Amino acid sequence: MSGGSARSLAKGSAPPGPVPQGLIRVYSMRFCPFAQRTLLVLKAKGIGHEIVNINLKNKPEWFFTKNPFGLVPVLENSQGQLIYESAITCEYLDEAYPGKKLLPDDPYEKACQKMVFELFSKVPPLVTSFIRRQNNEDGSGLKEELRKEFSKLEEVLTNKKTTFFGGNSLSMIDYLIWPWFERLEVLELNECVDHTPKLKLWMAAMREDPAVSSLLIEAKAFRGFLDLYLQNSPEACDYGL
Amino acid sequence: MEDATRTFGKGSCPPGPVPEGLIRVYSMRFCPFAHRTRLVLRAKGIRHEVININLRNKPEWYYTKHPSGQIPVLENSKCQLIYESVIACEYLDDAYPGRKLYPYDPYERARQKMLLELFYKVPHLTKECLVAIRCGRECADLKLALRQEFCNLEEILGYQNTVFFGGDCISMIDYLFWPWFERLDVYGIADCLNHTPALRLWTAAMKQDPTVCALLIDRSIFLGFLNLYFQNNPDAFDYGLTC
Repeated sequence: MSGGSARSLAKGSAPPGPVPQGLIRVYSMRFCPFAQRTLLVLKAKGIGHEIVNINLKNKPEWFFTKNPFGLVPVLENSQGQLIYESAITCEYLDEAYPGKKLLPDDPYEKACQKMVFELFSKVPPLVTSFIRRQNNEDGSGLKEELRKEFSKLEEVLTNKKTTFFGGNSLSMIDYLIWPWFERLEVLELNECVDHTPKLKLWMAAMREDPAVSSLLIEAKAFRGFLDLYLQNSPEACDYGL
Repeated sequence: MEDATRTFGKGSCPPGPVPEGLIRVYSMRFCPFAHRTRLVLRAKGIRHEVININLRNKPEWYYTKHPSGQIPVLENSKCQLIYESVIACEYLDDAYPGRKLYPYDPYERARQKMLLELFYKVPHLTKECLVAIRCGRECADLKLALRQEFCNLEEILGYQNTVFFGGDCISMIDYLFWPWFERLDVYGIADCLNHTPALRLWTAAMKQDPTVCALLIDRSIFLGFLNLYFQNNPDAFDYGLTC
């Protein structure tokens, strides 16, 4: 699997050629939580893939032909088909590739995973607001809002009486929400799970998963990236390489 | 129409369990999100019962069906609850046999979901236009923004060169878009389609669809509802019912 630690492509770069048969390409960025969802599913399903990292602070012009919104992740297959929006890419991979199904076959169980996903939907913008707050703003209001959202997720685990959000084994919904929980520690937001013990246990169980642990981002590297990213530095996306 | 029943409001008794062989949808006759679910139920010929909810005077028991009392919600005879209109529509397509509204091909399914992302500003913008017009406020900026969204959809139809958003036959994505286009006229913003001929052709084609046709809301009844709704009259939701 090539490219996970490859330098990003930026403005002025040549577009990559067609995707070789037998592989699927993901346009990504090493620190992006949305792209991490897609990488987790690729890993969990053992799908042969290549990674092309994009410099999100200095995007190549050709990248907008892959996704008009100019965002990662984007999937491109050898037929030239393009799929974007992280949740859509994950579902596409689960449907198009054989092996372990991450989404349940049962229509109701599948709907439940999508309802939990909706329940989670306020978390990414809250975390982004927290990261982007000005230096003299204390984040306690945002932390309180995050705690509220986490309580909703705790309730799901309490009602289901299972370790994971889809049951007793890890499944799609767990991978979709993981990247934000991975970042809590480095963002000093761990205290937001102090009152949600099941969520804490879930986080520990997630770290045991082979796909999750193989994609864990080193705290120092993330911090280095984030500092540069917040300064809009075009070097941010390649931090540590 | 199957949903021509009086709403349940505060103080009402909760309905009993859903009979075997039926699925229940908690709805409201004029709600565009619930309209999506009713279109899918009809298109797939799914036997169902409709319980209309008074949205300005919600029954206490309704919060056991949805944590914040929103519609639509599906409830089956196993007491399973499904909500968020798009999730409900996909559930029905997955759970019931017969005509599939989403394509089988994973890439084509993904395409329909990507198209839905393109649509996400439309519900909010159409509602804002309606409220502005009804409150006698200016809404030129809102209409401009809505026209821009319609231009994006026009571009898709142009690029694909197909009548419907999923190809040459009507499919899920068309039903998911339709309720807001049906309401443009009664909201007073039909002129937002003036510069999008392919989209106008699409709305004409949609009106020929038997499912869309069967659920078309009578214009004068809709206007009656809107008049009462904007006067904050809780009887708005039952406007036009004869029983």
